[in-house]
Amino acid sequence: MAKVNVPIAKTFGWLGANGTEAAVPGDRRTEKVRLQAGETRTVVLETGKESWDWEAVLEEGALLRLIQLTGDGGENVNTVRVTCGEQARFEWYRVILGGGPVYDQCTAELAGDGSSFTAEIGYRLSGENLLDMNVEAIHLGRRTKSAISASGVMSGESRKILRGTIDLRKGCKGSEGNEMEEVLLLDPRVRNRSVPVILCAEEDVVGNHGASIGRLDEGISYYLQTRGMTPEEVERMMARARLEAVIRKIPEEAVRNRLLETEEKDA
Amino acid sequence: MTDEKTQVQDVDRAFYDFRDEERDSCRIDGLTGEIVEQISGEKGDPDWMREFRLKCLEIFNRTEMPDWGPSIEGLDMDHIATYVRPSAQRMNTRWEDVPEDIRNTFDRLGIPKAERASLAGVGAQYDSELVYHNIREDVARTGVVYTDLESALHGEYGEMIRTHFMKLVPPTDHKFAALHGAVWSGGSFVYVPAGVKVEIPLQSYFRLNAAGAGQFEHTLIIVEEGASLHFIEGCSAPKYNVANLHAGCVELYVGRNATLRYSTIENWSRNMYNLNTKRALVEEGGKVEWISGSFGSHVSYLYPMSILNGRGARSEFTGVTFAGKGQNLDTGCKVVHSAPETSSYVNTRSISKDGGVSTFRSAVVVNPKAENSKSAVSCQSLMVDDISRSDTIPAMDVQTSRADIGHEARIGRISDEAVFYLMSRGVSEEEARALIVSGFAENVSKELPLEYAVEMNNLIRIEMKGAIG
Repeated sequence: MAKVNVPIAKTFGWLGANGTEAAVPGDRRTEKVRLQAGETRTVVLETGKESWDWEAVLEEGALLRLIQLTGDGGENVNTVRVTCGEQARFEWYRVILGGGPVYDQCTAELAGDGSSFTAEIGYRLSGENLLDMNVEAIHLGRRTKSAISASGVMSGESRKILRGTIDLRKGCKGSEGNEMEEVLLLDPRVRNRSVPVILCAEEDVVGNHGASIGRLDEGISYYLQTRGMTPEEVERMMARARLEAVIRKIPEEAVRNRLLETEEKDA
Repeated sequence: MTDEKTQVQDVDRAFYDFRDEERDSCRIDGLTGEIVEQISGEKGDPDWMREFRLKCLEIFNRTEMPDWGPSIEGLDMDHIATYVRPSAQRMNTRWEDVPEDIRNTFDRLGIPKAERASLAGVGAQYDSELVYHNIREDVARTGVVYTDLESALHGEYGEMIRTHFMKLVPPTDHKFAALHGAVWSGGSFVYVPAGVKVEIPLQSYFRLNAAGAGQFEHTLIIVEEGASLHFIEGCSAPKYNVANLHAGCVELYVGRNATLRYSTIENWSRNMYNLNTKRALVEEGGKVEWISGSFGSHVSYLYPMSILNGRGARSEFTGVTFAGKGQNLDTGCKVVHSAPETSSYVNTRSISKDGGVSTFRSAVVVNPKAENSKSAVSCQSLMVDDISRSDTIPAMDVQTSRADIGHEARIGRISDEAVFYLMSRGVSEEEARALIVSGFAENVSKELPLEYAVEMNNLIRIEMKGAIG
């Protein structure tokens, strides 16, 4: 057992969110890549049946699209670490459709001026699924941008922790970090923990975060029921809409279609 | 120096920095079983309290320091006076009977003046002991009790205190709660009987005069069914070069359909470690409102907690924290929703300047029982320069789907456009920035009685003076 997903800044100890004890597999796959200046690359990483330590360095103006998927499989413990040079862009698409327990750490180091990080996270948890995430955007260069967006649906007795940190370090003048989380809870037995952190040591910066956690909006649900849908159908449709909004952003068509088909089948 | 509290020239906070010659009649340094027994003896504790103190010391010794907040390495418990009895022999109910030097201190802070003008009762603590307590006769006639906790312990409310004392904040809660339990001294007891609405506020003022000392007052307030109360707490101390410690404890019991507003303007000197614990238990239909202004101390750990224990219980927390040079203020709040249809609202502002560090830290917990509960948290931080630091560390733990939880936070700077606009209307840059910061903190100042809002705005003006360049 080892402590994983330890955040940069800790919250109150009794919440149990300052890192998690997990059985880290010894046979984790590792990969280190380097994108040349101006290069664009799309990588699809399946982290369901195996765990990954994945690292990348992006040179000036490079664009990395990392699509990380978990659909089934057992426990996996993954780390992704990407360092961005000047004007480099890192796009992370993370979709979890069951499986796990999943322990995910993703760190984007925005070292070069004008570099950016966007995270699009979508998950559907049911049964006894566990999702434990720690996402960090470290702003070092000037005019760097981060946008972490997570949208998920929880049912059954599933559990989730999302720690998201926007770390605006000294010197990152003109930078902006945004974080948004929406969680739809469909079963009274779920447990959702969210720790959206902004750390700020610079004046000329902006940091925002917002979170909305709860059940389906009663107004919407009522309206759809008056149009002939059953409450179950409404729930299913709204849950699907949340996930599809993330899936449709995935830039690789084959992956996108495969996930949409899976969604359709499950629904 | 003038005695006028609102002087903007008091840039160095000299207003609070005067100190009296220490003429303590008793001073106890350090923390051992013998010392705890000695304090207990000084206080004439009942047996259960003496045993409780010793149990707390044991818990203190085996509890680890917190590993998540600002550093408290500068605090050496072996060199903190755990008990300082001032020259006052006993608690007084007539202002004239308070020894002259202590009276002068509180006169300079404007306490008796405020009592005459706008309060239903006043308590004044000096170092480890309450030196004055008074309540207006018409308020006392309604059955309201406002007295020092220690004499109440021996009187007709002794049993009530025994069943409530450190039940909300058990000594096992954290290391400094255990310390408080071992060496607590002074503080107030307020009891508002069912149905009584106290229209004007009660106030306690805490002054720590002795160098290298700790203040460990305990405030216990019980507001029964349908009653209401506004309680104000103020704190200050002169500046010393050695660390002082404040590890007080506030326990609030808010009955069914009762309302309690608890306002604090904290302005400890900047050698103070303020490790205070505040907690409220709110029953069905009741409401607790926290108004909190944190301006002083070197290091603060302060997170008033509301436990919403009955159906429809509510809490509101409105806070402002201003961290200047040499300050690391870790403030925020905690809310536990433990019953259906409970609601909480948190609205805070923090400002950092001159190398100060302010951290907003919160936790909203929604238990499985808290169906149909709602919570909204909004926190905003303002960075005035690039040598300071402002962190926001909120947490939400939602254990039922039948709840609506919202959270928003924003960190930013003073808008150049707003400063430019004000300057184009003839306001100096310094004034413009002070005005914008005061406006930023308005969420708190508009909730305070007028005199306190004026004091808070003056504190902001003092802090903002010289903030340019």
